[in-house]
Amino acid sequence: MTYRWPATLIVMVALIALPWWSGDLYKLHLAALICAYWVLIGGLNLVVGYSGQLSIGHVGLLAIGAYCFAILAGTHGVHPAIAIVASGALCALCGLLLGLPSLRLPGFYFAMATLAFALIVTEITLAQGSLTGGGVGLPVPGLPAPFDTPRGTYWLILAIAALVTWLSWNVARHTWGRGLVAVRDSAVTAQAVGVPAFRAKLTVFVFSGFTAGVAGALFAVLQSYITPDTFVFDLGLFFFVCIIIGGRGHILGPAIGTIVLTALPEMVAPLAKLGNFFYGLLLLAVVLLVPEGIGRVVELLVERFRPLRGESHVVKPDLERLAKAIQDGQSK
Amino acid sequence: MTLAASGITKRFGGLTALSQVSLELKPGEVHGLIGPNGSGKTTLLNLLSGYYRPDAGVIAIDDTPISDATVQRRAALGVARTFQKPRLLPTLSVLDNAMLGGWRDARAGFLATAFFLPQVKIDERELRSRAEELLHGVGLSHAIGRRANLLEHAEQRFLEIARGLALRPRFMLLDEPAGGLTPAEIEQLGAVIRVMRESGVGVLLVEHHTDFVFRISDRVTTLDVGVVIKHGTPDEVKRDPEVIRVYLGA
Repeated sequence: MTYRWPATLIVMVALIALPWWSGDLYKLHLAALICAYWVLIGGLNLVVGYSGQLSIGHVGLLAIGAYCFAILAGTHGVHPAIAIVASGALCALCGLLLGLPSLRLPGFYFAMATLAFALIVTEITLAQGSLTGGGVGLPVPGLPAPFDTPRGTYWLILAIAALVTWLSWNVARHTWGRGLVAVRDSAVTAQAVGVPAFRAKLTVFVFSGFTAGVAGALFAVLQSYITPDTFVFDLGLFFFVCIIIGGRGHILGPAIGTIVLTALPEMVAPLAKLGNFFYGLLLLAVVLLVPEGIGRVVELLVERFRPLRGESHVVKPDLERLAKAIQDGQSK
Repeated sequence: MTLAASGITKRFGGLTALSQVSLELKPGEVHGLIGPNGSGKTTLLNLLSGYYRPDAGVIAIDDTPISDATVQRRAALGVARTFQKPRLLPTLSVLDNAMLGGWRDARAGFLATAFFLPQVKIDERELRSRAEELLHGVGLSHAIGRRANLLEHAEQRFLEIARGLALRPRFMLLDEPAGGLTPAEIEQLGAVIRVMRESGVGVLLVEHHTDFVFRISDRVTTLDVGVVIKHGTPDEVKRDPEVIRVYLGA
């Protein structure tokens, strides 16, 4: 696609310049929040959208990341940069511990395991009052200069979101992405070509744990005060729905999903009143009308503008070329 | 170098699907496996490729037993297969489907891929050119960029073969590859199989089109209710009274 790079460039410039055209600070805060969500969703997308594992409990990892940051940077005065990385590392470890037993379960039971995990995390944050402040919660320190202004915070979170996008794009577009899609769409095919399904699922799950932890830290900074109620289970479903509406096996789609689902209820007051009803309605509309999600709609639109190639279906083997290709493979 | 099953017995509950079956697949030969429905052909193929474990007997490559090796391990040892009903990844392109076959030759790990280290580009270039050559070879030049769900049946069958060949296999197990093909397409399939043989690949051909099997196989094994009733050259098998009685008909 020749216009992919120009389009990416224009979007990047527009996003970097957002503080100058967004108008007010609230919209800037909203944009930063979307980016923080995307840090989590971008990683989760490899789990849900590519390897096909239905995790609805990532809000638990978000909470762990947020509390880890608040406790390290707030209570113990650790440098925020170190605290952010530590939040990611802790959540990667949690992802490993959660994934090891649960990723062997078939789809529905795996989803239930992640649900249980999210509920347990909420209970722990309530029960461990001396560490987490219990129901009262914890204040979260801001970031040091130059990230201590709303603009600075936004740019930092935007940069991290862009990094996550780039990382997940690289994974999705190469051998790993094909292997993950094989695990999702046909387990026997994955086996037949030698993809170690469990290890592949676990690897992306740990990766998504890391990004969820970093997202938790950034999310906590934006909230400036966190309580167990900040991490309601609805939020976990919201992450999941963003990916389903965006389309499995896409990156742009879930990104659009995240933006739309976060921004619309905030920008259009009547929608905010509808709350979860709005998400439900949108999910229903997508599942019924475009089950492959926004990403597929974008793809189809792009294909419209491409010249159609001949629709031949005739198979014509080129035996000399085949012989050479097979022999080349064998001599390696 | 041979892929051999010796004295294989496989039971499903009370049903004995295979009983004391032996079969040897050598490089550079086409080995036909025929028999009536339910005679255990696909079961044997699943045992060879690792989807099932035998209840008795040994599967080995040369003298190394692999009865307990996973499907993935056998893929790494050079055993590739296709499926009765083609199993492609419908949302990926034809090229991506074929490149998937080269999974085990990609050296870049997860983090190296995420950070797009140089090895990723090297892997990608190598797998892409291999997949493209194979796709041109099996006759899918016209469909390389297409989504796999837009392929017609014959194209899907040939794509599965290309994906299998992308593993650089020593042994290729084909599960009813001629199913649903037109006579002209079966001819092309035969030509492709002959090229595999001449390139030194051992081909196991599980198939119902007996004419086709007798025409291109070097050796043929006939199964009936889980037992080998005849093994030999196509001519020997064709004339065997027992084979005629249970399968070919008078």
